[in-house]
Amino acid sequence: MITPLKALRKNRFKTALIFISMSVSIAAIFLISAISGGVVSMYSAMLKTDGDIIVTQKGIADTFFSDINNSLSAEIRKIAGVKKSSALILGAAPVDKLPIVAIYGVSDNRYDSYTLASGRYPKADEVMLGSKIFETLKQPKTIVLSKKEFAVSGVFKSRIGFEDGGVVMNLSDAGTLFHKSASIFLVSLKDLGNSEEIVGKINALNTDIEAKTTESFIDSYNQFKIIQTSSDVIGAMAFLMGILGIVSMMSMVVNDRKGEFGIMRSIGLSSRVIIFKLLSETLIIALVAYGVALGASFGILELIEHADKFQGYINGEISAVLMINVFIVSVTMALVGTFLPALYASRIDPMSLIQRGGA
Amino acid sequence: MKIEALGVEHFYGHEKVLNGVDIEILSGSFTAIIGESGSGKTTLLSILSTLLQPTRGSVRYDEKILQEFGDIDLFRRHNIGFVFQFHYLISYLTLRENVALAALDTTRIDPLLAELGIEKLGGRYSDEVSGGERQRAAIARALINRPSVVFADEPTGNLDTKNALGVYELFKRFASEGTGFVVASHDKKIADYADIIIEMEDGIVKQIHQ
Repeated sequence: MITPLKALRKNRFKTALIFISMSVSIAAIFLISAISGGVVSMYSAMLKTDGDIIVTQKGIADTFFSDINNSLSAEIRKIAGVKKSSALILGAAPVDKLPIVAIYGVSDNRYDSYTLASGRYPKADEVMLGSKIFETLKQPKTIVLSKKEFAVSGVFKSRIGFEDGGVVMNLSDAGTLFHKSASIFLVSLKDLGNSEEIVGKINALNTDIEAKTTESFIDSYNQFKIIQTSSDVIGAMAFLMGILGIVSMMSMVVNDRKGEFGIMRSIGLSSRVIIFKLLSETLIIALVAYGVALGASFGILELIEHADKFQGYINGEISAVLMINVFIVSVTMALVGTFLPALYASRIDPMSLIQRGGA
Repeated sequence: MKIEALGVEHFYGHEKVLNGVDIEILSGSFTAIIGESGSGKTTLLSILSTLLQPTRGSVRYDEKILQEFGDIDLFRRHNIGFVFQFHYLISYLTLRENVALAALDTTRIDPLLAELGIEKLGGRYSDEVSGGERQRAAIARALINRPSVVFADEPTGNLDTKNALGVYELFKRFASEGTGFVVASHDKKIADYADIIIEMEDGIVKQIHQ
């Protein structure tokens, strides 16, 4: 342990470069995974509120474009085993100085899922603001939405960033705004065991709609797949960049320390010992870089979450699973990136000591 | 241990640097290989010490060729020590740690440093001691595993006369205790200490003085 630490201290400039390269790569993986995971989990959490089954327009790729007839909600409520069916219009529009804000038109029976911080639920020509947007807009009494003024009836608090940075209005006003009677229905059940049977019954009501259990909807939702795939691709690029950074820096380190490895070979240390020595050096750097990247990622996510610019829509989540996964990725990055230079070091001909200078 | 070179030839590209060398070296002797630059002494030393494979001919260690020992690294670690012209101590390790890097038995380090007169310098780094002290530490590293033979290439090349003679005296002393020393040098003073002198010229053994 002492020898690798001393070697790292001796080569502190290159150690610092490897450390920075690894920290940036690991932080990039943390941030992209946390942000994409946060988006998916926020939207999933919103759908899961009062939603054991989600009903959308059939074949639609994005809930924002879904258009279904609100009258079907009453029919769904009549199905045995259904506890509640609430309608939701999902839209986005400029609000005052903000270029784009999430707008939620909700049926009356859904208001109780919002925790009021002040005021009351909205009536016609009124809106309720999430606490984040309420603060961003400097606690307005009214807002202008699509050239129409709405009175602010109340403020609610939500741990879901999309809601806390959004505007809630009644279904009728939202319907006028977005020219539809509902985007989706959130159906809650008395007993989750009957969910597949009830999904079948809802689908039988109308050929234009598609019902899925919330879990299956989330698993198959195209937008989530796009976000997840993009995140995986960017994460993989960061991983590869990290490996390339380590390979190039470690190659320089090995070249600088040729004499040292030649000595080790001449005194009979095996190739395995030399490879292990270099791997242990980068593993130490990887562990420190992982800790620093984790701390930095928490800090950056905290800044993003509270930045007015992002309206609370970006809530990164660093879960224990993500921490473990990125830890494994970091160790792999260090080992893979060091292996080839270490292999080269282990094969340095001790004759080079006789022919050239240098430890 | 008996080391034999049998008909050893070596080429660097098309240039023949050793031309049929036959010699025999025994543990417990101090053998000097002397000659002008380009005479082939360093190449011969490298071949005898397992660092270089001869183009033709063979080297035997106690009647066995190197391949018969299996793990060459392990063979080298147990049987062979090296001292180079430059001390080649690892600069971020103390003198003691440099010796420990090679040691199979670390309990021998302190007595050996004491024997070489550098016991008080074990905690220092190579840039904190003199050239002679560095070379003594390098000799300690070569001797730590009680090798049968130590190969030294111009070990006094960077030392003043006093320190150079000190190194030869050490070699002489340890040779009398059973370790063989094979030293390539163009320093004529080595003749006063060596038991056997092999004189090289243009890739051949010109003369062997006992």
